[in-house]
Amino acid sequence: MTPWTFILKNALRNPRRSLLTVSSVAVSAALLTSMMTLQRELTVPPESEGASLRIIARNKVSLVQPLPARQLPEIERIPGVVAVTPFTYFGGQYNDEEFTSFAQFAVEPRRFRSLLVEGRVSDGDYDAWEKDRTSCMVGRDTMKRYELKVGDRMRFRGTFYPCDLDLKIAAVFEGTVDDRGVFFHHKLLDELTGDLGTVGTWYLRVESAEKVPEVISRIDGQFANTAAEVRAESERAFQMGFVGMLGNVSALIRTVNGVIVFTLALVSASTMSMAVRERFREMAVLKALGYKRRDLLGFILAEGFGLSVLGGALGIGGAWAAWTLLDIQKLTGGIFIVFEVTPRIMASAGLVAAVLGVVSSLAPAISVGRMSVVSGLKTLD
Amino acid sequence: MSDGDGTTNAGMAGGGSRPEAAPIVRVRSLSKVYRQGDIDVTALNSVSVDIQPGEFVVLMGPSGSGKSTLLHIVAGIDRPTSGEVEVQGINVGNLDESDLAEWRNQYVGFVFQSFNLIPVLTAAENVELPLLLTRLGRSQRRAQVRAALELVGLGDRMHHRPDQLSGGQQQRVAIARALVTDPVLVVADEPTGNLDAKSASDVLGILSSLARDAGKTVIMVTHDPKAAAFGTRSLHLEKGEIVS
Repeated sequence: MTPWTFILKNALRNPRRSLLTVSSVAVSAALLTSMMTLQRELTVPPESEGASLRIIARNKVSLVQPLPARQLPEIERIPGVVAVTPFTYFGGQYNDEEFTSFAQFAVEPRRFRSLLVEGRVSDGDYDAWEKDRTSCMVGRDTMKRYELKVGDRMRFRGTFYPCDLDLKIAAVFEGTVDDRGVFFHHKLLDELTGDLGTVGTWYLRVESAEKVPEVISRIDGQFANTAAEVRAESERAFQMGFVGMLGNVSALIRTVNGVIVFTLALVSASTMSMAVRERFREMAVLKALGYKRRDLLGFILAEGFGLSVLGGALGIGGAWAAWTLLDIQKLTGGIFIVFEVTPRIMASAGLVAAVLGVVSSLAPAISVGRMSVVSGLKTLD
Repeated sequence: MSDGDGTTNAGMAGGGSRPEAAPIVRVRSLSKVYRQGDIDVTALNSVSVDIQPGEFVVLMGPSGSGKSTLLHIVAGIDRPTSGEVEVQGINVGNLDESDLAEWRNQYVGFVFQSFNLIPVLTAAENVELPLLLTRLGRSQRRAQVRAALELVGLGDRMHHRPDQLSGGQQQRVAIARALVTDPVLVVADEPTGNLDAKSASDVLGILSSLARDAGKTVIMVTHDPKAAAFGTRSLHLEKGEIVS
């Protein structure tokens, strides 16, 4: 026998309680991991390779205020701008779905091609889309989800614009961080709305990341004190603006995480206290046999730590497996795209479980340390 | 049974013909006062006693007479309020808690009334517990455990858990655990209190032979006069003092 054998036998002396403890910690750790992943999904939008080179320019008053189309040549002339396209959110309802989880944007296909840096689409299909004003380019995920194929039609009921769309799928893109969107010709939107002079936003690509701040400043300055002042920002900053709207949700998730950690602490502390209390007399015997305070502290800490870490590993591993193997897009109707349980999240949850294992063992370990052998021997079984 | 300075002399109890040797246990003016609420309770009142190597000393007396307290202090699991205890020349009261734990591991073997075996460990593992604190290798530990269990007649029960053993067998495992580190002193607190007559007799026989044949010094607390008969000397305590 080794001290480790002794610790293991003690940890498993009440298999039902050990199983329940490990299960409680596992479920809590899985929940904590999932909540941290959810928080990340909501607050850290997926970042693509080309995002650092892209800028979105919107109306300074509000995102819903349109911008005049006549701004295009002025933006194009700004040094450092490689490409620019109108980029207008349509916000349609697909096939009368109650909630459509993918966005539709009106763009100028010829200009949009050089903005689609990470996206992969066959040249033939892209050309076909560019040529057909009533066609669209659809993300691979959406094609898969609705079992669509090139040539099929997609109909959208306008909820934002007073018109509906009936688009033929001409091209499919994939390889971006969000392969769900639908892109169609801005000219079609202009015709359907009868408004030829406005766009939602401008979507630009800059020649280098170093030029981005300068271009943003130039765009803002270009339209300062005009009827349509512009607020330009990097794609990342634009996304984070949406995240900012989720401020309270994020706080709520943090609160839930706190509750989970607190519950986890109570479960672990209660279990370890019970486990130690019922063998107070044995601890006294060990002391009589020559074991020191630090030996007993080590036994108790190792047991609590071991159970917590085992539960944590099972829970975190389970959460990782579940969110990796499950089709999160399908499961959430496309609300979540990545839902990645990152190594950092797993390490954080693991650290919480380990620290709680130690902390929950401290109180019983201290009480055993303080116990005199004589009083411990008088403890009733 | 006390000499001029109040010390109970082991030689006298041994029959007077035994040659005097240096006492292995030397207790001087030992007192223990417990505080219970606002009242001080004197458990031991200036007790002095010498115990020679190889003696089997039985501590007897009514409940509350201080016999267990004396045993606990001599064994180093309780501290006196005043007085001194020396075991093989070591002043136990001068040891700090850590040193005292090491000292107990090397010098004292414990046998309790309710056996106090760890239920999830086998007999061999229970006996091995004190050896985990030593520097012995695994094979040496195994050899000592086997020897100790064979000494108490349980060589064939090494891999049984306590719940698979009778009360008498469990107490014999406890004796093996007490012996496995080869201590100079074995203390037993009512070791037969939970046993039937046959098992009690077996256990007392083993303790007796430890003193007689192995030269161990055994101190046993008991209420039972039949058990006391196995000892080489009996000390009677009343109200915290040795009266005979």
